[in-house]
Amino acid sequence: MIAVSRRSFLAILPIWILLIGGQEIRGDERALQAEQAKSFFRQNCMSCHTIGGGRLTGPDLKGALERKDRSWLKRFLLDPVAMLESGDAYAAKLKKESRGAVMPRAAGITPQVADLLIDLIEAESELEKSEFAGLQISERPLTAIDVERGREIFLGLHSLERQGASCISCHSINGIGGLGGGLLGPDLTKVYDRLQGRKGLATWLAAPATPTMQSIFKPHPLESGEILALVAYFKEAAETGSEAPPSGPLHFILLGLVGAVGVLVIFDVLWRTRFRSVRARLVADQGERALHR
Amino acid sequence: MDVRSQIGMMFHLDKCIGCHTCSIACKNIWTDRRGTEYMWWNNVETKPGTGYPTQWEDQEKYRGGWEKDGNDLYLKSTSKKQIVPNIFHNPAQPSMDDYYEPWTYDYQNLFTAPEGNDQPTARPISMVTGEYMDIEAGPNWDDDLGGSPIYARNDPNLKSLTPEQRLQLFSVEQLVLYYFPRICNHCLNPACVASCPSGALYKRGEDGIVLVDQKRCRAWRSCVSACPYKKVYFNWFTGKSEKCILCFPRVETGQAPACFHSCVGRIRYLGVLLYDASRIEEVARADEKDLIEAQRSLILDPNDPRVIDAALAGGVHPSVIESAQQSPIYKFVVDWKIALPPHIEYRTLPMLFYVPPLSPVIATRKDDRLNSVSDDFFHDIESSRVPLKFLSGLFGAGHDGKLRYALKKQKAVRWYRRAVTVGDVDMETAEKILQQADCTKEEAEEIYRLTAMCSFEDRFVIPPANREEAIEMLKEPFEHKQSAGFGFLSGPRRGL
Repeated sequence: MIAVSRRSFLAILPIWILLIGGQEIRGDERALQAEQAKSFFRQNCMSCHTIGGGRLTGPDLKGALERKDRSWLKRFLLDPVAMLESGDAYAAKLKKESRGAVMPRAAGITPQVADLLIDLIEAESELEKSEFAGLQISERPLTAIDVERGREIFLGLHSLERQGASCISCHSINGIGGLGGGLLGPDLTKVYDRLQGRKGLATWLAAPATPTMQSIFKPHPLESGEILALVAYFKEAAETGSEAPPSGPLHFILLGLVGAVGVLVIFDVLWRTRFRSVRARLVADQGERALHR
Repeated sequence: MDVRSQIGMMFHLDKCIGCHTCSIACKNIWTDRRGTEYMWWNNVETKPGTGYPTQWEDQEKYRGGWEKDGNDLYLKSTSKKQIVPNIFHNPAQPSMDDYYEPWTYDYQNLFTAPEGNDQPTARPISMVTGEYMDIEAGPNWDDDLGGSPIYARNDPNLKSLTPEQRLQLFSVEQLVLYYFPRICNHCLNPACVASCPSGALYKRGEDGIVLVDQKRCRAWRSCVSACPYKKVYFNWFTGKSEKCILCFPRVETGQAPACFHSCVGRIRYLGVLLYDASRIEEVARADEKDLIEAQRSLILDPNDPRVIDAALAGGVHPSVIESAQQSPIYKFVVDWKIALPPHIEYRTLPMLFYVPPLSPVIATRKDDRLNSVSDDFFHDIESSRVPLKFLSGLFGAGHDGKLRYALKKQKAVRWYRRAVTVGDVDMETAEKILQQADCTKEEAEEIYRLTAMCSFEDRFVIPPANREEAIEMLKEPFEHKQSAGFGFLSGPRRGL
């Protein structure tokens, strides 16, 4: 009897291990999917939405499932534009609330992803403070000191807390001198207006939505204090300056030319005692003298 | 006393006929390669004239040689501080135009030109660009033109002359010229060696010949600007500097250098000198007026037993000492003091000496007619057509004492020989003149012999090279014999 049970135990052991393992794998999969959903949310949604952090461009998603049912949300997520065009009243209301901004169809969204996102929103809505509440930027009025600090951060005079690249590496803005900043990214003079003010700009800075900015700032995110300073600086820039005119590159070339000439003049002065042609001058001088004779 | 040997040279300018055979001999042996077209390791200049490269004697422009500041010597062209900021563009580098653009002629056209009314011509073609060109200058552009308005009148040595003297020098029927053949002086204190950032130039221990190591040269061209005689040239094809090598392969085998050997006027003399290397710096720093005397004092008497002992102790081969005792250069420079170094004020201590030329007397003007034939054929040297001031700029650092002495002695020898062979001068006068010139009859006879009646062996006393000993200094000779041939032939190339 004992021998039999021992044998049967040995027989079921592999199956048992498989079963337990399978359960574990399923548990892992779920965690992985949740993590993917978070990552997707961060990359695609966070620049316009918070969960419990108030309205940005789009509405706060806390309790979205209480406002609309799951199937509506899923349809909307999969193709917001089609939903709006179909004449859905709630979609039209959302558009109105976000001052005409239409939610774009997120790249790479599938019904499965949409489900996961809705799960995520549901789960996060129940938390007291979601990690997607957005960065809490102080609401205090912006001061001249903030503007100055923002300018220093932009120019790279003040290095970022987490070693992010300074703005000037890729962007230009009005009022930073003739040479301007980098030309890789857009001119940021009017970025405050483009991103609809303080809140939108701050959120964007907290979680940049473009692939280029993401790859640069994901490992080195900005601190809230830095964001506030930059917002102050961008606000100031948007109020006072205008974007660089299309003649900007021409200015750059002219400045380069002036610089080159300057360097040549310096060389000429430094090496003023250098050897100059002897024979040709001798002949030229003598020829001139002969003419005057 | 650190006794070393140095091959000394002497050119007797009174004998130079300006035929350029020396230049051609040198050109054919050494500088008919690509990149060396413009080089003339040996050239013959007409004086007064600007020379080659144009006005090379004007060191305000060319910045060659040494400069004495306080009691220290500095290179005019560069320094330890200047060499790095100037390394990619040497600010004292003469351009090709200051030498000349070398050319050949389109000889083919003489054969291939289509039939026409005119004789076909061979147009000049640049040897640098290969294009047709207009010749504007050459290495001897004012050859034989003692009074040419552009070149002769801009001779840097004329600066010390008064306007009157200049007018005299250049007035019609007064024109005078002499020739000034030049090779590398193989100086005792060579500025080219001092300036090289790569250490590519060196002075051979056994005979003092200054050479450029073609493997170590890195084309910085500091030597080109540092040499006050402009006798280092840059080969634009190989990217290496080149200079006169005193035909060392010939000298080592007992033959005179090509330019010496081929000299038609037999003006060139060569012989080894012993000198005290420990005093070079002290001598190079001497006051300008004492430089000639100081340099003479550097050359040691090869018959002095103390010198011989020191030389043997210093590794000079007995055969070289023996050769030094026969050296004609020692006689001209030290014994007789009639050979002088060129532009000693550059302080490189050149080891090529010149016997300054005597020139015809100034013509006299009588009733608006110029009489250029003087009754007084052996005139006073003070009234030479070439003003002493002009010659002293070249051979006396501006001080004419030593020059006057040399010319006076030459003149006295002529008086003496006139008395001996022709007899229209009485011996008493001749002896008086000899005495005035600090010369004895025996000395005059010897000067005459070595000047006018000299044979090949008299002029060229070439020291044995003792190459086997040179090898011994570096290697075990038997091992070397078994392991090495003549080395590997590899031409100089650009880069490392």
